[in-house]
Amino acid sequence: MNRATESVCPVCLSRIPARHETVGGDTFLVKVCPDHGAFRAVVWRGDPGFREWSRPKIPSRPGTPFTKVEQGCPFDCGLCEAHRQHSCTAVMEVTWRCDLGCPVCFASSGVDAPPDPSPEEFGMLLDRVVEASGYCNIQLSGGEPTMRDDLPGLVRQAKSRGFGFVQLNTNGIRIGREGGYASALADAGLDSVFLQFDGTRDGIYKALRGRPLLERKLAAIRALAEAGIGIVLVPTVVPGINDDDLGAIIRFAAENSPAVRGVHFQPVSYFGRYPEPPADAQRITLPEIMNLLEEQSGGVMRASHFQPPGCEHSHCSCHANYVVIEDGGLTRLAGNGGCGCKPRPASEGADRAKAFVKRQWAASGPDLPMAGSGDDLDRFINRASSHMLAVSAMAFQDCWTLDLERLKGCCIHSVAPDGRLIPFCAYNLTSQRGETVYRGKCDGPVRA
Amino acid sequence: MSVIKVPEADVSGWKCAACGEELVSMPVELEYLESLFTVELPACPACRFVLIPEELALGKMHQVEQLLEDK
Repeated sequence: MNRATESVCPVCLSRIPARHETVGGDTFLVKVCPDHGAFRAVVWRGDPGFREWSRPKIPSRPGTPFTKVEQGCPFDCGLCEAHRQHSCTAVMEVTWRCDLGCPVCFASSGVDAPPDPSPEEFGMLLDRVVEASGYCNIQLSGGEPTMRDDLPGLVRQAKSRGFGFVQLNTNGIRIGREGGYASALADAGLDSVFLQFDGTRDGIYKALRGRPLLERKLAAIRALAEAGIGIVLVPTVVPGINDDDLGAIIRFAAENSPAVRGVHFQPVSYFGRYPEPPADAQRITLPEIMNLLEEQSGGVMRASHFQPPGCEHSHCSCHANYVVIEDGGLTRLAGNGGCGCKPRPASEGADRAKAFVKRQWAASGPDLPMAGSGDDLDRFINRASSHMLAVSAMAFQDCWTLDLERLKGCCIHSVAPDGRLIPFCAYNLTSQRGETVYRGKCDGPVRA
Repeated sequence: MSVIKVPEADVSGWKCAACGEELVSMPVELEYLESLFTVELPACPACRFVLIPEELALGKMHQVEQLLEDK
């Protein structure tokens, strides 16, 4: 089966035709640049199949596009008037400093970091988000945002301007180390932390982050649980490093429910400078993650539990929800109504995703006292509302795997320093030589 | 899961319009988004037509529905 799309040349980043080629159960993105030759990268392995994994959407154009279509996708991002999905999450990089120098980093942080945006500039960027996308969910990212001493002030600013859900993307080191820091963030209104958590063994952190970090992660989780901030564990999944630990990560999450609200796996993608294209053996795809979770959970989780997303493009993610029952086991909570085969407006999916994330990724409310009152239905409602565990995975695209059809449906939008909203994978896109399209080229000031 | 009993599901005073039978309490399977709940509800012993009391529909069933709402 072949599906035609467009991509970019990994060497010169020119837009070129591409197609999906399925051989056996594996699907590859195949493309030829007239100047730099042929490229082929695996994007999907095994069941559920690439073609069946579909939840069609009727495009929803941005309410206020900031850019016109001039050069064509992916060179007009702002969002441009041809983009097909609203913002579910606006990612705001509040610093480019970092206290880790990981081999895997979207942002190539830490090296010659430019100055942090001022609180005033941050406020102007929030205004741009409201103008473009309304009060969508906000993720504060970086760099490592906790390098900024005024981070609680930024959280407070976002909340006081009316953003209902503010999440922090962090390695958790400062949160685990500094007594009172998590509660300062909670007092400022922080709802949720996207905690970099690559596994349950120190060897994984040594390989991926250059040092053992497990104790620091555990300390961060304790501090966040105590402060009442919802925790989402975010493992970057790398073949041969931690793809044998996925079941253990889920068990750890269940043991730490309800403080841990979800696990969000991110298959490794390759941004930055690569003299040679990454081999297919260095990639892991969404169906492989679903199947490994089935294997490593002893069948408690099943690949068939997972559903394609209603918000972003189908091939970008998968998700399933569970209730952590009293003995620590998991019961599947929900599937999607209907077959998901009838196209729905993309904005409807974005609204549902925003509401789900706001409800599920924030801390659960205090347990209602049930002893002696209520029936089984009450007890189910009580348990499911406090102890739901949301399991999801999102596949980012690099210059070898970029499918512009997927990019046009993106709902995770980076807020560039000049105030443009740029789909996450376009913002982070680099050629094989490490050249960017957007990052470092839209440094502001904020354009009105 | 055991049979769920809900105080809202009071059978008294209800009669099946089609069969003329007094409703009786019986276990009924409710399915929503692949989650199954067995709830004791008033139903007609002849045609098995089930009455879902308004308080239950707008109360706990609505809450369960919200919990199962997904992305």
